[in-house]
Amino acid sequence: MLQCIFLLSDSGEVMLEKQLTGHRVDRSICDWFWDHVISQGDSFKSQPVIASPTHYLFQVVREGITFLACTQVEMPPLMGIEFLCRVSDVLSDYLGGLNEDVIKDNFVIVYELLDEMIDNGFPLTTEANILREMIAPPNIVSKVLSVVTGNSSNVSDTLPGATGSCIPWRAAEPKYANNEVYVDLVEEMDAVINRDGALVKCEVYGEVQVNSHLSGLPDLTLSFANPSILDDVRFHPCVRFRPWESHQVLSFVPPDGEFKLMSYRIKKLKSTPLYVKPQLTSDAGKCRVNVLVGIRNDPGKTIDSITLEFQLPPCILSADLNSNHGTVNILGNKICSWTIGRIPKDKTPSLSGTLLLETELERLHVFPTFRVGFRIMGVALSGLQIDKLDLKTAPSRLYKGFRALTRAGEFEVRS
Amino acid sequence: MFPQFGATAETLSKASTMVFRIGTDAHLYDDPDDVSIAPLLDSKFDSEKCEALKRLLALIAQGFDVSNYFPQVVKNVASQSLEVKKLVYLYLLHYAEKRPNEALLSINCFQKDLGDPNPLVRAWALRTMAGIRLHVIAPLVLVAVGKCARDPSVYVRKCAASALPKVHDLRLEEHTLAIEEIVGMLLNDRSPAVVGAAAAAFASVCPYNLSLVGRNYRKLCEILPDVEEWGQIVLIGILLRYVIARHGLVKESIMFSLQCTESSHSAKDGSDVDFGLVKESTDLSGTCDSEFLNTISRCYMEGPDEYLSRSSYANRESFELNGAQFTSGKSNDDVKILLYSTSPLLWSNNNAVVLAAAGVHWVMAPKEDVKRIIKPLLYLLRSSNASKYVVLRNIQVFAKAMPSLFAPYFEDFFIFSSESYQIKALKLEILSYIATDSSISSIFKEFQDYIRDPDRRFAADTVAAIGLCVQRLPKMAHICVDGLLSLTRQEFVTKDFGFEDQEAGILTQVIMSIKSIIKQDPPSHEKVIIQLVRSLDSVKVPAARAMIIWMVGEYSSLGEIIPRMLTTVLKYLAWGFPSEAPETKLQILNTVCKVLEGATGDDLWTFKKIFSYLIELAECDLNYDLRDRARLLKKLPSCNLVSLGLEEGTNDIPGNDLLHIVAECILGRQTRKVKPKSFSYRYYLPGSLSQIVLHAAPGYEPLPKPCSLLLDDLNVAEGTSEMKRAADYSGTDDYGSSSDPSDEESASDYDSQRSVTESSGSDRGDDSEFTSEGNDNADPLIQISDIGNASENQNGVSQSSPANLGELMSNRALESWLDEQPGSLNPCLPKQSQVQISSAKISVGDVGKQVKQKSYSLLDPASGNGLKVDYSFSSEISSISRLLVCIEVFFKNCSSEIISEITLVDEESNRAFDSADKTAVVNESPLTSSDDVPTLVPMESIVSLEPGQTTRRILQVRFHHHLLPLKLALYCDGKKLPIKLRPDIGYFVKPLPMDVEVFIDKESHLPGMFEYARSCTFTDHIVELNKENGDSLLVKDKFLAICESLALKMLSNANLCLVSVDMPIAANLDDASGLRLRFSSEILSSSIPCLITIGVEGKCTDPLNLSIKVNCEETVFGLNLLNRIANFLVEPTLS
Repeated sequence: MLQCIFLLSDSGEVMLEKQLTGHRVDRSICDWFWDHVISQGDSFKSQPVIASPTHYLFQVVREGITFLACTQVEMPPLMGIEFLCRVSDVLSDYLGGLNEDVIKDNFVIVYELLDEMIDNGFPLTTEANILREMIAPPNIVSKVLSVVTGNSSNVSDTLPGATGSCIPWRAAEPKYANNEVYVDLVEEMDAVINRDGALVKCEVYGEVQVNSHLSGLPDLTLSFANPSILDDVRFHPCVRFRPWESHQVLSFVPPDGEFKLMSYRIKKLKSTPLYVKPQLTSDAGKCRVNVLVGIRNDPGKTIDSITLEFQLPPCILSADLNSNHGTVNILGNKICSWTIGRIPKDKTPSLSGTLLLETELERLHVFPTFRVGFRIMGVALSGLQIDKLDLKTAPSRLYKGFRALTRAGEFEVRS
Repeated sequence: MFPQFGATAETLSKASTMVFRIGTDAHLYDDPDDVSIAPLLDSKFDSEKCEALKRLLALIAQGFDVSNYFPQVVKNVASQSLEVKKLVYLYLLHYAEKRPNEALLSINCFQKDLGDPNPLVRAWALRTMAGIRLHVIAPLVLVAVGKCARDPSVYVRKCAASALPKVHDLRLEEHTLAIEEIVGMLLNDRSPAVVGAAAAAFASVCPYNLSLVGRNYRKLCEILPDVEEWGQIVLIGILLRYVIARHGLVKESIMFSLQCTESSHSAKDGSDVDFGLVKESTDLSGTCDSEFLNTISRCYMEGPDEYLSRSSYANRESFELNGAQFTSGKSNDDVKILLYSTSPLLWSNNNAVVLAAAGVHWVMAPKEDVKRIIKPLLYLLRSSNASKYVVLRNIQVFAKAMPSLFAPYFEDFFIFSSESYQIKALKLEILSYIATDSSISSIFKEFQDYIRDPDRRFAADTVAAIGLCVQRLPKMAHICVDGLLSLTRQEFVTKDFGFEDQEAGILTQVIMSIKSIIKQDPPSHEKVIIQLVRSLDSVKVPAARAMIIWMVGEYSSLGEIIPRMLTTVLKYLAWGFPSEAPETKLQILNTVCKVLEGATGDDLWTFKKIFSYLIELAECDLNYDLRDRARLLKKLPSCNLVSLGLEEGTNDIPGNDLLHIVAECILGRQTRKVKPKSFSYRYYLPGSLSQIVLHAAPGYEPLPKPCSLLLDDLNVAEGTSEMKRAADYSGTDDYGSSSDPSDEESASDYDSQRSVTESSGSDRGDDSEFTSEGNDNADPLIQISDIGNASENQNGVSQSSPANLGELMSNRALESWLDEQPGSLNPCLPKQSQVQISSAKISVGDVGKQVKQKSYSLLDPASGNGLKVDYSFSSEISSISRLLVCIEVFFKNCSSEIISEITLVDEESNRAFDSADKTAVVNESPLTSSDDVPTLVPMESIVSLEPGQTTRRILQVRFHHHLLPLKLALYCDGKKLPIKLRPDIGYFVKPLPMDVEVFIDKESHLPGMFEYARSCTFTDHIVELNKENGDSLLVKDKFLAICESLALKMLSNANLCLVSVDMPIAANLDDASGLRLRFSSEILSSSIPCLITIGVEGKCTDPLNLSIKVNCEETVFGLNLLNRIANFLVEPTLS
């Protein structure tokens, strides 16, 4: 069981400490931790489970904030890590993002949330909807109110009804004038294109995001036109397993508001919407770079927010890069980022220029990997289609809305 | 590169957040103590209190100690505002352990809140009350938990479940059974949310008491998908353990492989029973590493530390699994239902649940069904980096054990450049396990890309992975070696740059991989060796050079060309010798030596010359390792020839054979085939922390022994079965005993078995009806008199026993309860006096003389160098201070020598500061009077002790009302021996003489909250009676004997005053029911009276049921005293 949770800022300062059990953990453990981070660098920071001399540490790093949990006894490490991830999700949801200031400014809420989320080292209430009812998130209205009146209570007086029901994700009996359900397919495309320009792998991770505003206790069923293309799925706890097993139909009582109904994975896709052709030729201490980006398969909708990013190899002294479309920036940590936006009709965007190698080096022997970003509204590239959405206990009117979106996930082009 | 961009962006974001900070608690965090906090805490406005508490919280967050505000904060616990409450609770939990005395002040408020109509308030109160870890209030918390476990609100029941580990954590043995009972009740709860929390409680409180699970196993399986995610993780593990303990392992699962290897041995003897099965499994094992599986499943069963240590002294057979410990997954319903109910969890949104469910299938599912866990596991690789790492560590083991499972999914382990190094390395390792002939070409294509990655450490690992792949798939050897060789020729590797540490690593790795490939089939790679030797000129990295040179020596006689090259190569090496690195020099010496061993004919002379030249150089080298090596090699026979010329006589030296052997060993041509040990041999259960850190984390338990849970155990009363369970565990596998370290510590005189009756006692109390008639068999010793309505009182006692929660109810609740049964608690009500039952008074005058103080050992002669120290609690009252308890200490010299200078010192007093601090705490507390009393009044030291002599001293100790052992130091002969003095709450009181009327009057003033009762059994009198029967005494004396033994027992275990002994006048001949003993005392420190009443029930000759009742104003003390009395009464007297 977890004994203590620390929140560390990106400079190693302990912003918050929450002891969970009677076995107190001294915050000197954070000093030990940070000493190692400094001496071992990023490889230590990317180690999720650390055996320190006194405790086992689980660490999750989000937006520069390190969530550190300590235990001394055997427990499933994924439980600790998942819990920290959940904490960071809830916090960033509450505070509208995560950074040092926002946590310090709202430390009372963070304490109150942590206290509800975990009891004696075991997760207690982690369902975001219930937490929202127990502890009000800070918003402009309450902030202004607290300035004006000086009263700032954000702790609810009553226990949310959902804690007691057998569907803990749904608040009891909300009432809406308009019954609405919005279903979004949000897909992320992961692809790897190797040096030869061949597509090594291409798959889609998608989520079915639902925003439901339905009165009473609605029972929904959602079915797909082509469920057979789904490679693997994961469900929100509200989804009943058996109907899916037998008919591949999603049957569920939805939580109120926004939630992730399911996520899926579709493997072995045959093509990507974009092509990226990098060429690097090096000779006599110089490296000539030329990158072309264009549309390979037109998805039918505009591809926008196209970006290209790559890390300059460490042996490069300076870079002189230009593009015929969009802007090129080289950031402090030697990351070169090219913002293209949309692809113009009349020309193919290209990035070209030269890199100057270190003095002794004749030729480049390590090659950067290009990470591509894009977004396509209105299309689910995997081809998954929603067939229908039914409400068993049909209210008078039900408005249903469907949308789709595809963006790049881990889209990498090697050179 | 362009830091200014970053800087402006940062300041911009800072500026923008400044705007959003208005209205938040930012100012409180930044300057928490810019105003005086104390007056705000005492403010009558909730908002000001809130602000003060938030400031305190900010200080806590920043690591300051603000425990000095504790008294003021505790006061606010009574606030009506929920926000204030919440903040106070946060503060309280942080500091309660530091300030136990003040924390006690809040108990009353919690008790009140526990009766609050708002479930949120009840839950918070319970959580906080259980969270302040004080031994003294543990009984109160336990009662509160028991009450909340029956609460109508699911949330409160859930909190009750999570409070149980907190109580258990205090390690109070006498409560173990009560806690487990509540766990069992909550496991049976109808709400899935509660079951999840109860599972967590079960896992931390009583993981061995699997019979609790057995009772509702089916129900738990069915409810599993509805349990909340975190509970699922724990519950899955519990169910798995139960099924294995109950039914054993599954025949068709991977765990059977260890059985199949063993039975295949016996199959050779022709004595095997199910030959077909073995065959089938060996067919399957073609696709998996059966020896490895064997290791894994053994590690799962008994923990790798056990298994490995045992295998080291070659006694593997002691852990035998026979066929009876296996069950069939196809026919066993319990196994089927477990697999059925866990399989949908593989679709869970929570990574930890998926991994836990996959673990169950890995261990229990038939081999052909294990593949269903693959896709969900691979899906987990799409989550956060941290989870990905943990999942990969588990897949690593799965893939090594059954590569065939993952082989089709090799693409999932292709690497993204954005991943962390650890993840990349793990993926490479897994890829090298699962590569097959069909997938290897695409994998190699990927590897080629990886070698060009800017992360050179990763590139080096890729090269190592290529070597591993080829070892598994020798077909690829030639292609790979060619590829690797081309790497050695590349410019970047061979150029010697300053920063090329990592490039050097790659080169070393390349040569190492080539070396391992060549080792598999040296003759076919002759050309490769030649090419490598040719490249010696360009390879500059010492480690890589050394390896190539090693290969020259190793394969010097291989094929045609190499032997012919040798002279040139060795000359070249000798020529460059002085400029080599030490590492390379050592290898050159070895190689030349080896070549010399195998050399014949013409070359021999050249080699010898080279060798003696090298030896001469090496003997003058700066590096002493090298000089030593040179001297050693010089002495070896083949080299001897060199230095001594060609004298044949050397062979006759007797030690020469030995030298030859030494030479063989050192330069052994045949390098033994060592299995690659790239992987640790320690395996722990999938999904466990230990599997990640590769050592058994505290609390790690391997799977239980198959079929160790018998059906009988499930039917036996739970208390005893639990004991058996524990015994079973410590007997069968050795970690049982280590799992509960508190056993040895927490005193021999508190045995948990005694409290068996505690839970069931409540029912018996109600049966105490005095139905017996007549029998005026009056004894001269028994005087007939009227003593109130004793029996009513008796009823009152039994009804307020713990199960009824009488003492915990808030006043309001108590009143309403009183309404239901008017006046039954208060014997002074006039109504009651109508129903009077006469009773007789027995005097047991001479009991006092028989009282023998119980003696405990403080130091046994073995550990005290012959000095034996015993102590017993004395009934004397200290004349110095009423806070002190007198202890009689006996020093006996058991050795044959004089022991001198014996003195006892308080160990704490060395730390003067600490003890001062402690007294300071006491000073502030209103419960104790304020005088500065040391923990131990300095003892008059014993100058010398003759052999066999015994000396007695009176020790005056102050226990601070703690029930924890006091650490003392005994000095004798100048040596310091640490000892522990165990306090006995029975001597924290002194006798308070009073007559029965006063007693009853006082008792009537201490009702409700101040009255606690418990029941227990008493057996001492049976021995006594049997003894007397033999003497053929009159039967009527039975009562007297019972009273005497009971009184004796009480007086010899606690410092009490016997007030009266009552006997119902209408008593049956051998029915002792209605007998009542009264004792009075007052608490030493506070002079608060403490009244004890013991009611007897049952047949004279049988074990008697006692109901003990304590009336005392100081709730906590009273409860502890009650528990102590119940404990010692149950314990049989040793005669």
